[in-house]
Amino acid sequence: MKLDHSLLTRRTFLNTLFGGWLIAVLSGSVYAFLKFIFPTVGKEPDFVVLNKADFFDIPANTVKIFPWGGKPGFFLKKDDGTQIALKGVCTHMECNISYVPGVKKFYCACHKGWFDDNGRNIEGPPPKPLEMFDIVVAGQKLVIAKKGVQVDLPKA
Amino acid sequence: MISRRLEEWITERYDTEALRRVLRAKKVPSHPLEASYFTGGLTLFLFIFQFITGMALSLYYVPHSEYAYKSISDIMTKLNMGWFFRSLHHWGAQLAIASLFIHFFTNMLLKSYRKPRELVWVTGFIMIAVLYFFGLSGYFLIWDQRAFTAIRVATGGAGSLPFIGGAIKVFLRGGIDVTQETLTRFYAFHVSILPMISLLIVGLHVLLVQVHGMSVPLSLKDREGKPQPFFPNVFYKDLIIWLSATGILVTLAVIVPVELGVKADPMAPAPENIKPEWYFLFLFQTLKFFPGQIGLFNGETIAITIISLAILFAIFIPFLDRRSSAGKPSPAYTYIGVFYLLYFVVMTIIGFFY
Repeated sequence: MKLDHSLLTRRTFLNTLFGGWLIAVLSGSVYAFLKFIFPTVGKEPDFVVLNKADFFDIPANTVKIFPWGGKPGFFLKKDDGTQIALKGVCTHMECNISYVPGVKKFYCACHKGWFDDNGRNIEGPPPKPLEMFDIVVAGQKLVIAKKGVQVDLPKA
Repeated sequence: MISRRLEEWITERYDTEALRRVLRAKKVPSHPLEASYFTGGLTLFLFIFQFITGMALSLYYVPHSEYAYKSISDIMTKLNMGWFFRSLHHWGAQLAIASLFIHFFTNMLLKSYRKPRELVWVTGFIMIAVLYFFGLSGYFLIWDQRAFTAIRVATGGAGSLPFIGGAIKVFLRGGIDVTQETLTRFYAFHVSILPMISLLIVGLHVLLVQVHGMSVPLSLKDREGKPQPFFPNVFYKDLIIWLSATGILVTLAVIVPVELGVKADPMAPAPENIKPEWYFLFLFQTLKFFPGQIGLFNGETIAITIISLAILFAIFIPFLDRRSSAGKPSPAYTYIGVFYLLYFVVMTIIGFFY
C-alpha cells in the first residue's frame, strides 16, 4: 500500500535514527566510563584479631596502636586496669588523634579537639564521640570488633 | 643567509603576511589602570614555568607510597641541581596562585567580566579551581606526614558536601581511605589530567581575550589615551615583568629552599600546628569558626555549603550584574567585590598568624 502523505519526512526519519544511535552509544559509553573511574569501594574491617599478650601487658595509662584497616586503632589501658578500644581518628575531619597521658585525654592536633578517656568529645570542634570498639578475649587472641558485630572465629 | 632562505621557504608555503597584519593590528587600550593588563600575562608565564619545571621533576619522581618520599629526597640530595628545581616548582606554584588571585580580584573590581566578556570570566574561574586542584594534588605527591594529613582533611571536607559529597570523596581517594590508590589518582590528576584541562581552558581564555580585546573600565572610558600597539610596546613591558618574576622566583628558590617533612605514616597522629598551604587558609579559617554542630545539622556541612554557594555566586557575577553590562555604574557589585577581597585577605592573615 502506498500512502499519499507520509507521517514522517525522510529527514526526520534519518535524524531520529542517527540521533537515537548517538544517544544509545553515548549513554552506554558514559555509563561504562563512570563505572570505571569510580573505584570499587572496600570497607573497614568488622573486626581485627590481635595477640592478647601484646596488649594486655602494657603499662597503665598508656595506649597501644593497632592497624584498623588503613587507620589507627587505639587500645587504652586506664589507671584502674580497665581497657577500652576505639578508632584513633577524629570525628571532625578524620585526622589521627593522640593520647595525652598527663591529662588522660585524646587530642586532635588539626583543629585542637579534645576527647575524654571514654572517647566523649569535650572540647573543640569534634561533633561526635570517638567510635568505640568491643573487646573480646578468645584464648590467647584478642578480638577488637565494631560495636554490635558478631565475631565467629574459626576453631584453631 | 640561512635565515633568509628559511623565511622564503616558509613564505612560499604559508601566508605569513596575514599573520603579521594581525600582530601589527593588535592594539592595547591605554589608561591610568592599564597595569592591570599585565596580571594575566604574568599568570600565564608562571604557569608555563610550572609546566617546564614539572616536566623536569617528573623524570625522577616515583608515584608509589613506598618510594615517593625517597624519590623526592633523592631529587633534593643526589641529583644535580635537584633541590633547585624542586624549589623552583614549589615557589613557582606559590607565585602562580598569588598572581592568579591578583588577576582575579583586579578584574572583579574593574568589572572586566561585563558583557560581552562573560565567558572570559567563567573560563578564568574554572582555572582557579584547576589551579587549586593542581596545588592540592602536587602537595600530596610529597607523601610526607603533613601532606598525608592535609589530603585526608581536604578529601574528607569535600565529603561533607550535601548529596554528592560521598561520591566526590570516594572518587578523589580511590577508595574509602587515603592510600596508595589516592597517590596514583593524584599523580594522574597532577601530571596528566589537569595539564590537559589547563591547556584547553587557558587556550580558550586567551583566545576569547583576543576576540574581545582588552576591557576598559567603565569609569575610565573618557580618560583613555591613544591605544598602544601590542608589538613591540606592550610585549616588551610584558617581558620586563616576566624577567622580574623569574628573578624573584629564582631568589626565593635559592634563599628559602622548600623543605621535606617526615615520611607519611598512616598510623601516626596528626602533626601539631598543622596548617594548609596559604591559599587554603581562608577556607580552613572559615571552618574553624563554625562549631561542630549547629542545631540538628553538622557544622562542617553548613560551612562547606555556604562556601560553595559563595563560590557559585562569584562564577555567575557577570550574568547577575546587569547594570555594568548595560554600561552603567554598579556600586553594589563593587561592594561585593571588595567584600570577597577583604574576606580572602583577612581570613588568610588570621589563618596565618592565629
